[in-house]
Amino acid sequence: MNELAQEVEPNEIAQFRREARAWMQANKPKDPGFKLPQSFLEVESDRQFDFLRDWQRKVFEAGYLGLDWPAEYGGKGDPLKRQRVVSQELARARAPFLVNVIGLQWAGPTILHYGTDAQKKRYLKPILSAEEIWCQGFSEPGAGSDLASATTRAERTPEGWRVTGHKVWTTLAHKSKWMILLARTDPNAGKYQGLSYFLFPMDAPGVNVQPLIKMTGEGGFNQVIFEQAPMGREALLGQEGQGWQVAMTTLLFERGAAEGSGGGQATSSAESVQRVAALAQRARRGRSSAAEDPVLRDRAAGLWIEEEALRLASLRARIPGLNLDRPQALRLMNKLVYSEFNQRLSELACEMLGPESTLWLGDPHAVDRAEWPRAYMNSFGMTIGGGTSEIQRNILGERVLGLPKSK
Amino acid sequence: MSYPQIPADFGFSEEHEVLRQTARRFLEERCPISQVRRLAESPHGHDAALWKEIAQLGWLGLVLPEAHGGAGLGQLHLALLLEETGRRLLPSPVFAALLAGFALEAAGSAAQRARLEPALASGDLVATFALCDTRGGWEAPEIEASAEASGGGFALRGIKPFVIAGAEAGLVIAPFRERSGELALFAVDLPTAGVRVESEIGVDPTRRSARLVFEGARVSAESRLESSGAAALQRVHVRGFAALAAEMVGGAESTLAMTRDYAIARKQFDRQIGAFQAVKHPIVDMMIGVELARTHMLAAAAALDHAPDSAEVPARMAKAVASEVYPAAVRKAVQFHGGYGFTWDCDAHFYFKRALWSRAMLGDGAHHRRFLASELFGHARG
Repeated sequence: MNELAQEVEPNEIAQFRREARAWMQANKPKDPGFKLPQSFLEVESDRQFDFLRDWQRKVFEAGYLGLDWPAEYGGKGDPLKRQRVVSQELARARAPFLVNVIGLQWAGPTILHYGTDAQKKRYLKPILSAEEIWCQGFSEPGAGSDLASATTRAERTPEGWRVTGHKVWTTLAHKSKWMILLARTDPNAGKYQGLSYFLFPMDAPGVNVQPLIKMTGEGGFNQVIFEQAPMGREALLGQEGQGWQVAMTTLLFERGAAEGSGGGQATSSAESVQRVAALAQRARRGRSSAAEDPVLRDRAAGLWIEEEALRLASLRARIPGLNLDRPQALRLMNKLVYSEFNQRLSELACEMLGPESTLWLGDPHAVDRAEWPRAYMNSFGMTIGGGTSEIQRNILGERVLGLPKSK
Repeated sequence: MSYPQIPADFGFSEEHEVLRQTARRFLEERCPISQVRRLAESPHGHDAALWKEIAQLGWLGLVLPEAHGGAGLGQLHLALLLEETGRRLLPSPVFAALLAGFALEAAGSAAQRARLEPALASGDLVATFALCDTRGGWEAPEIEASAEASGGGFALRGIKPFVIAGAEAGLVIAPFRERSGELALFAVDLPTAGVRVESEIGVDPTRRSARLVFEGARVSAESRLESSGAAALQRVHVRGFAALAAEMVGGAESTLAMTRDYAIARKQFDRQIGAFQAVKHPIVDMMIGVELARTHMLAAAAALDHAPDSAEVPARMAKAVASEVYPAAVRKAVQFHGGYGFTWDCDAHFYFKRALWSRAMLGDGAHHRRFLASELFGHARG
């Protein structure tokens, strides 16, 4: 049930899938014996990071990353379909996630779209190999959902720019070589016109990375304070003043509304309703189990319907004739629907566990090392990050349905 | 049982698109809401001239074999057509005729099909299918109406309520339980001595129904469809889930469009009400629901076309999700049209009523989720 690859495939793709599946089975790293992060949002220790970086390098060296990126930038120039197959097989194998998520899925595709040839040559390959890790400097303490009100300044110098300001929720900043940075280059221009987009070197002087602790107690999440931190002219991506447009492109990739990622997956969990149903059989209720509770069964069946719909929608999204009413709707709603589905599923898992869901990491009796309450809490990273669910609803209402702005 | 393989392109082709465009144009012209209103208040609730035109377009025989006057097309064609008829609330026994066609396909012998299908396809015969039994049950174990062998034929007893177009139909196909305990489908001409046809007063004036009371009606041996049985009834149901889900998605789409348009046109507090997030966000949720339901109904049709023996899970998912989405959409539609939404003048109530009918027939969300949960949990006791 819930096979990730249920489309009837051409032979050539089916063959590629078999090879990828066999490779994942043979090469997937063994449990290292220490706690692994569930997603790229909570990489704390060096050993976690090294483990994940080694895994990404291995996947890249086996030829499973950047398949659809041009060969001159470290990719293979293959059809996008093959990269999709790899992502599906990584999820299916429940392999660890690929740590350079921001590089692979957000920065890389944006550089491919807006970068000069020199920028593409410089940045793309080390993204695939995980040699250079990326982080994202968009949100600020005063600019969350209202991202365009960012006040971090990039002031002109003879060599380039100097950055002063404060970015938050900068996942992996403590391990990053580069940051995609949205900063204000012209405070006198309009809110949207005064922004520019940079590829900022994190080893510049004047950069201070401080950890933020998430609600799970885990780190990996940071804030970055810039004091006159310098960068060269080559750091500008796109035109000066075009930052908002470039950032919106990144967000399309981040939300899965546009394809072009170098591959990989953002979490290692790929939680499926089927796994939660199996959990329910283990979740004791005296002499019975949660799998016998009719209300929980009903909700699980409802989530199974949603899970299949998400999978089928990814096929349907590629058939223009089946999207005539609203051609962009499926792609633009993907992040909202997926993140809320995932949140409800992990919450249902906690409810199924009942009293056992109250044990936390480190307790010897915690079911599945407290994976379920941890997944539920971590699910908010997706319903808030990359544009909250509420902002997603505004976007869908205004852009897809043509409803008036909510100002 | 799991979700079966379907082609990555759902089997969709240009041909499907042509059918949809033809249907959309025809219904725009011949079935505007003014026509729906007129028919809703007419005695029979449908228009004989419109029925003839529909037959000429080939809709009645869309999935019947070409040899019997049909077009021999698949369930995805049908789904796209029904999405259009659902959008327009087409007040016509088309849906009833399609169910009857499903029953002939599932249970009729070659001779029976050759006799009945041409008349179905041409529209000369208005046929229907009795979904429900005496006490509102409809799945195989719940069928109570009986067929007794009698004088070389059968005597039929029992009550079949909620039969679509039951008062207009010249033929009804219905399941009865034989003395052996097995189910059989009978195709019964109407009117027939021993069958009382009582028109019902329905909530939905665009979909008329009747209660058929079989009081020992004598029918010939040939009226028993040859390959009858619970499996045949099951096949009618699975295709019915997918077909009704398609109609429901069409209705939900119209409901969404109407509500969106009103949220743009209507001003209060000097603003378009669609600018308020308390209105905007629920309309977005309607759209998400409609798209979710549409994905499932298209996939269910593709499964019926390409993996018909394992289409039950997809078809039940499609009906389950449509049965949540359409009623939720009409609820918001009435609410967001405000005082106007509460009036007869506003079109929302027609969709509201159709949504209630559609949810109730062929199993609602909870019903289908109960089945799906058994699949998911490997039949652990529920």
